[in-house]
Amino acid sequence: MGIESKLGDNILTTRIDSFINWARKNSLWPMPFGTACCAIELMAVLGPKYDLARFGAEAIRFSPRQSDLMIVAGRVSIKMMPVLQKIYRQMPEPKWVISMGACASSGGVFDTYSTIQGIDNFIPVDVYVPGCPPRPETLVDAVMKIQKKIEKERSAQYR
Amino acid sequence: MSEQNKTATRTEFSPEDFERVYDFTYDPHEERMLLNFGPSHPATHGTLRLVMELDGERIVRCVPELGYLHHGFEKLGEYRTYNQVVTITDRMNYLSPMNNNFGYILAVEKLFGIEVTKRARYFRVLLAELSRIMDHLVSLGTWAIDLGAYTPFLYLFRERENIYNLFELLAGTRLTISYTRIGGFARDRDIPPEFFPQVLKFLDGLLKTVDEVERLLLRNKIWLNRTKGVGIITKEDAISYGITGPCLRASGIAFDLRVAQPYSDYDEFEFDVPVGENGDVFDRYIVRLEEIRQSVRIIRQAIDRFPEGELNVDPDTKVMLPPKDEVYGSIEGLIHHFEMIMLNRGARAPKGEAYVATESPNGELGFYVISNGGNGPYRFRVRPPSFYNYQILPRLLEGQMLSDTVAVLSSLNIIAGELDR
Amino acid sequence: MATNEEILKKIREKFGDAVLETSDALGEAAVSVRRDVIVDLLKFLREDPDLAFDFLMDLCGVDYLEMGGFERFAVVYHLYSLKHNHRVRVKAFVPENDPRIDSVTELWAAANWAEREVYDMYGIEFNNHPDMRRILCPDDFVGNPLRKDFPLQGIGYRESFEKIDRESAQ
Repeated sequence: MGIESKLGDNILTTRIDSFINWARKNSLWPMPFGTACCAIELMAVLGPKYDLARFGAEAIRFSPRQSDLMIVAGRVSIKMMPVLQKIYRQMPEPKWVISMGACASSGGVFDTYSTIQGIDNFIPVDVYVPGCPPRPETLVDAVMKIQKKIEKERSAQYR
Repeated sequence: MSEQNKTATRTEFSPEDFERVYDFTYDPHEERMLLNFGPSHPATHGTLRLVMELDGERIVRCVPELGYLHHGFEKLGEYRTYNQVVTITDRMNYLSPMNNNFGYILAVEKLFGIEVTKRARYFRVLLAELSRIMDHLVSLGTWAIDLGAYTPFLYLFRERENIYNLFELLAGTRLTISYTRIGGFARDRDIPPEFFPQVLKFLDGLLKTVDEVERLLLRNKIWLNRTKGVGIITKEDAISYGITGPCLRASGIAFDLRVAQPYSDYDEFEFDVPVGENGDVFDRYIVRLEEIRQSVRIIRQAIDRFPEGELNVDPDTKVMLPPKDEVYGSIEGLIHHFEMIMLNRGARAPKGEAYVATESPNGELGFYVISNGGNGPYRFRVRPPSFYNYQILPRLLEGQMLSDTVAVLSSLNIIAGELDR
Repeated sequence: MATNEEILKKIREKFGDAVLETSDALGEAAVSVRRDVIVDLLKFLREDPDLAFDFLMDLCGVDYLEMGGFERFAVVYHLYSLKHNHRVRVKAFVPENDPRIDSVTELWAAANWAEREVYDMYGIEFNNHPDMRRILCPDDFVGNPLRKDFPLQGIGYRESFEKIDRESAQ
């Protein structure tokens, strides 16, 4: 209808927002900030059985400058918190954060003098994943929720 | 309060800072370089930090920094009951949680003076050996991937998924199982009947995978060049630094707690203890690979001779929960249940202290529990094998090349949860 | 392999006046001593040919505030002999008003970091230690966490970071 009938079958038209969001959500490059037991489940998600590569998230770059999704997997201590903040600041926009596990979301089992009771007190978090440690399917579901969140972004709009 | 937290400056990495702390004089005209092998790095297994002074590619000095995963496990243990502390021990060496549960519950049962049934002892040995296989699979997989070989990681993690399925059948979760309790195990019912055939099927597949991984790596020229003659631990150093486990056995000292001071009926099983010759990275790899095969032997013997009988001790000893039909049926059962479960109650141990050491996949894991007559430990001390194994790293790395760091660090199998507690 | 009574008898013979208590409960040989003889005692235990305790398995601290011991703190050494396959536990009591004790790093290199951890957690200082500073807590942490009068939830360090807000308007 309209211009599409003149252009033929090889050309699709869409909104710029949808196009950019489609590219971003299907090539999320995670930065795994794994500290403890949740990091082992993260390794299992990247392993052969629960494959995160099917979502385009295969390129695990331990360099924050080249990634856009930070997965904080595990408990964060007071000595590690400045490191986490520094790495968060080093990631370029747009960036998203998944807080994996009970310890990253709220302190978990450890209500002690040196455990941060939830990283969302200090850095912005997009998706929380409950569990101790969460099953790999739960983490895959979290990545899919991030993908849905990215779909709704309006990146090409001047504010 | 935020000025007080000057640890933020520690990440800014100025050489003057390190002068003050590490007694290092920085001369900007020399050709030395300071490298921060940071807490967030793919090749450090967890949150380890090394500050290295380099002269070209050679390491002149290396100072490890710990504490990035310190969460006060020992203090937390003092505020929980004996059975609740089992969940804390899971999260220390998170690659082989059953070994931690096992060691801790042996210490507590020694304090209480309880002896478990023979069936429980054999089952604990079986699960501990499965857990040892789990730990060695990850250790070998991550070690291979650190040195550049990606395929063994995928093969070995596939096998680890099978062990996860076995634990899920028993305890309900994959990783942090918290399966042991005082007097036996967590569940009321006995072992499900499909468990043993699944274990046997898994063991056959495991041996094939281990053979394949060995074929991939053992004769590979690059692997041999990177691991032979690197990171040699001498016998005197090993004893002086308190190193135990595969790192000690690779240096030629045949010390295995399952043979020297057997616990939980290990003396009824027949197995060999692999011992290396040179104490380099290659020997540590071979020792761990052989230990997987010996663990398979032990598991097969345990299944062949598995004893009948009760799994948990008699509930009349007042340390375990009573069976549910008694709880709902009689008033004594209800009172017994409440005495175990409610706040500030629970089984109380007599005053005393106990130190029990078991052979975990990393070395001697010791639990020192002091009881003051309460329902929880008064002092809960863990003797972490990774802490003592890590101390020798600066000595091994002085004068070596930068790329040897990764090989040596992976071979010591440092697990940050156990190191920092 | 020497039995527990033989080990304790040898220690009592050599260091009789510094020994506060010996015990053989639950099959473990344990001896409590005053802190000034600790280096000599451990050296004797290592070099005597019948005892030959060449492995320092563990070094930790205990706070006896609520339980009552000879002093408030104790430093506990667990030793193991590779040759004879026996163990012993040595407890050196340290008073609260002067928490110092000699270091054993010249006997075993394993004691280096273990003593740093006791310093970090309890505040007990070790004389002649090559590198006496904190190991597990941050360097500017004030307080000794494993003491019984330090609260479990801490004194405010875990809330003292700045909050980063989301910069882009979502």
